[in-house]
Amino acid sequence: MRFVLRRFAFFFATLWAAVTLNFLIPRLMPGNAAIAMMGRYRGRVNPNALHALEIAFGINTHQSLIGAYFTYLGNIVRGHFGISLTFFPDAVSHEVLQALPWTLGLVGITTILAFIIGTLVGLLAAWRRGGVLDGLLPPIFVITSAFPYFWLALLSIWLFAIKLGWLPESGGYDVTTNVAWSWAFVGDMLRHSILPAATILVTSVGGWILTMRNNTISVLAEDYVRMARAKGLAPWRIMWTYAGRNAILPNLTGFAMSLGFVVSGAILVEFVFNYPGVGWMFLQSVENQDYALMQALFLLITVAVLIAILAADGATAILDPRTRDRT
Amino acid sequence: MTIQSVTATADAATTAPGPGPPIAEARRGFGADLWRAVARNRKAMAGVVLLLFFLVLAVFPGQLAPDDPTAEIFLPGLGPSSQHWFGTTAYGQDVLSQLIWGTRQSVVIALAVGGLATAIAVLVGVSAAYLGGVADGVLSLITDVILVIPIFPLIIVIAAYEKNAGLFTLVVVLGALGWSYGARQLRSQTLSLRTRDFLEAARVRGERKFYVIVFEILPTMTSLIVASFLGAALYAVLFAAGLQFIGLGDPNSQSWGTMLYWAENNEALGANMVLWAIMPGVCVALLGAAFALLNYAFDEISNPALRLRRLDITGTRTRPDTGTVAAPVASERILEVRGLSVAYATDDGPVVAVDRVDFDLARGEFLGIVGESGCGKSTLMYAIARLLGPPFSGEITDGQIIFRGRDMVTLAERQLRHIRWREFSVVMQSAMNALNPVLTIEAQMRDACKAHSNMSSKEILERSTEVLRLVSIDPIHLHSYPHQLSGGMRQRAMIAMALLFTPELVIMDEPTSALDVVAQRSLMVQIKELQERLGFAVIFVTHDMSLVSHFSDRLLVMYAAQVAEFGKTRQIFETPRHPYTRALLDAFPSIHGPKVHLTGIPGAPPDLARPPEGCRFAPRCPHATPRFCSAEPPLFDVEGDLVRCFLYENGTVPETAVDTVVTASEGVA
Repeated sequence: MRFVLRRFAFFFATLWAAVTLNFLIPRLMPGNAAIAMMGRYRGRVNPNALHALEIAFGINTHQSLIGAYFTYLGNIVRGHFGISLTFFPDAVSHEVLQALPWTLGLVGITTILAFIIGTLVGLLAAWRRGGVLDGLLPPIFVITSAFPYFWLALLSIWLFAIKLGWLPESGGYDVTTNVAWSWAFVGDMLRHSILPAATILVTSVGGWILTMRNNTISVLAEDYVRMARAKGLAPWRIMWTYAGRNAILPNLTGFAMSLGFVVSGAILVEFVFNYPGVGWMFLQSVENQDYALMQALFLLITVAVLIAILAADGATAILDPRTRDRT
Repeated sequence: MTIQSVTATADAATTAPGPGPPIAEARRGFGADLWRAVARNRKAMAGVVLLLFFLVLAVFPGQLAPDDPTAEIFLPGLGPSSQHWFGTTAYGQDVLSQLIWGTRQSVVIALAVGGLATAIAVLVGVSAAYLGGVADGVLSLITDVILVIPIFPLIIVIAAYEKNAGLFTLVVVLGALGWSYGARQLRSQTLSLRTRDFLEAARVRGERKFYVIVFEILPTMTSLIVASFLGAALYAVLFAAGLQFIGLGDPNSQSWGTMLYWAENNEALGANMVLWAIMPGVCVALLGAAFALLNYAFDEISNPALRLRRLDITGTRTRPDTGTVAAPVASERILEVRGLSVAYATDDGPVVAVDRVDFDLARGEFLGIVGESGCGKSTLMYAIARLLGPPFSGEITDGQIIFRGRDMVTLAERQLRHIRWREFSVVMQSAMNALNPVLTIEAQMRDACKAHSNMSSKEILERSTEVLRLVSIDPIHLHSYPHQLSGGMRQRAMIAMALLFTPELVIMDEPTSALDVVAQRSLMVQIKELQERLGFAVIFVTHDMSLVSHFSDRLLVMYAAQVAEFGKTRQIFETPRHPYTRALLDAFPSIHGPKVHLTGIPGAPPDLARPPEGCRFAPRCPHATPRFCSAEPPLFDVEGDLVRCFLYENGTVPETAVDTVVTASEGVA
């Protein structure tokens, strides 16, 4: 129970840190970017948009810095992220909700897939120590894990979209098809997701393979695996419930830590493919100097990562009885 | 237990053996060893070569690049040719020259960010662990928060306000955010070091904290610090390229990321200037790979378990022993071990840990195997249970293990599986490590039952309850996880598990050494009771001779991989013949006997990689004459007791020699 409480405390501490960074960064920048930006927009956009910016930055000339900070926190808690300049006069939260399903579908599913595939392959490689899988995989995946995501995205566009013409080059769906829940649309959506998904999969799976392999190798030398062998258990049973079950625990912690890296890569992949998700919108907002949208998206990404970490914590608690009893 | 963990002091015989602390070994001469290990590791060498290549490009771009990278003097969009290996850009610049000039920025970013992030990681990680208390709490929280905040989006947010971020801003921001992973690792490593002897010693000496950190702690963490540097450098190269690619860097800078930005803006892929868009990415990937390969290789070097050693058995095959084999007490033999040899693969070649061991075991007999840490007794036990082989580097190189008519050495794992647990089971030294931490006791019992029988769930539950009762554990603990039981209960639970099928033979490796003396005694009594009631034979491996004195029928004393003495327990305790046995007996207190001074054994057990010529105990033996060092003594039969000592060459020991033995051991006291 205390474990759960501690994790939630940590969750909120991180969230608070992210919100505070959002508030502070524009102010810490040389020349106070926020004020400068307001000056630049004054007269160019209508007063409503200007007010939106005020909310985004928490700027109010009548308030002290501390007062502004609390107003800002209050707005965030109530879900007021201001109004997007790019999609004026839509509220930021509305725009974000439109992009979210695309990213959850693409990045969420591929990340989970990569984790599962990587964990299984890593386990097998370590189990067949010195075998073909074990000999080939580590060096290959050490190198692919160093690939920049966006570069692999470019490469796959060039090869599969431009040269071979097998798959669409960009976007989340063909704009000429009707946006509706029809087979044609879903099929088109899937076709558009193959290249970005494959890119994320190929670059992120290596990390899971390598850590799982190394964890498993350490676990295989543990007494309880030796004991399982002494008990004459079937090899798959030893691999699964004795080696795998224990080796995955540090990998789950690793999952939490590597997630930020995967998300960063996914943002660039969406950018390269013009995929209509959160990452693409995030970079659009940076380009359009739509700070309200940008800050909201940064918070959203942070929250998403935190939720994934909590999920990994939950999985650890289910798989490892020792965490449950820890006080 | 590995050969390397042989401890050098005589009193080690009284402490529980176990794998030696890797840290303590890493302390000595790490630098030179590190370099040797790098040279031997192919991945590390590939990383070093790649890194050197880019370093040269970064230092001498002017000498190596064919053209001025910024001069727009050629035809735009040329394909690859001997003049322009990678073609030209849409602005008519030479791609190769741009690549070479771009190297410098990536290398500078990698090294600067790596250095900065590592410095912060060391500072935060080590001080958090060393200071402890509130400081640790605050620093750890900051570390964890920075670890999970998505750094790249944060950098984008910062870069969005600070458009066209220059090199300096990039390095500072990346460095200030990229240290958390390393800090976390260094903190936990420092925590595990805090209680080590050499640090305690430094504290007792009254060294200042700063001195302790810099001169005692940091050198032991070289490999972690290097890993932290390489990890940060890799992430810096990738993130910087990503930032520049999306246009958040300085668009006029010479860098791979900026090249990609311009290539993307000019749709180079569609416009047939493919190499312009691909080659900078290749460079980023290769430089990144250099760091990733080095990082991975360092992991392998600092964690020897990750390296695969293959046993080269040439030369380990040993001469047949001419010694006689003692007949077991009872007539019915269930186990015959003949000329059994085991070797371990090490970096310096094979090491023979069990050298031509012979013995027999009768049905229901209790055999004790005793010796100092690292004498090969546990290896012998694992060899008999056929639990060597990958992932452990030990292998049976010679000999036979005939268990109930079958030679276990020649059985395949598939065939062995059916004998295991039904006919012989194993109890390990520490139940904490030998029980699967994520399964309940019941689940682990069920596993074994299912593997060897068609028992129904109900029958399994009944049998599990029954065996737990045998070792006096409340069956309620079937639902407990190992960590929820006390040390003694865990050990009993493991013994209960070993009795599920009431096997003919139970092999026990120091099952009591993790317990306190009182629990030890009661567990021994219980084991003996069960053994007499159920009639199984026991091989009991221990370093504590006095422990088995009242329980074992026969005793096998091992020294430096060989049998030193083998005979009836009572006879050995009454008249220990081998000078080593005598010394061992003097090293332990007797629970019931009179108060005597305990003596250690002078000197250290030999390094099994280079065993001494002749008698292996000669260097520590008070009776050894130069002749003892010339030939290896065989086992001499002395009134049914087998002794590997030249003193008994003529059957019985000369009266004078016995006197000397006694006086010598008293003299040491």
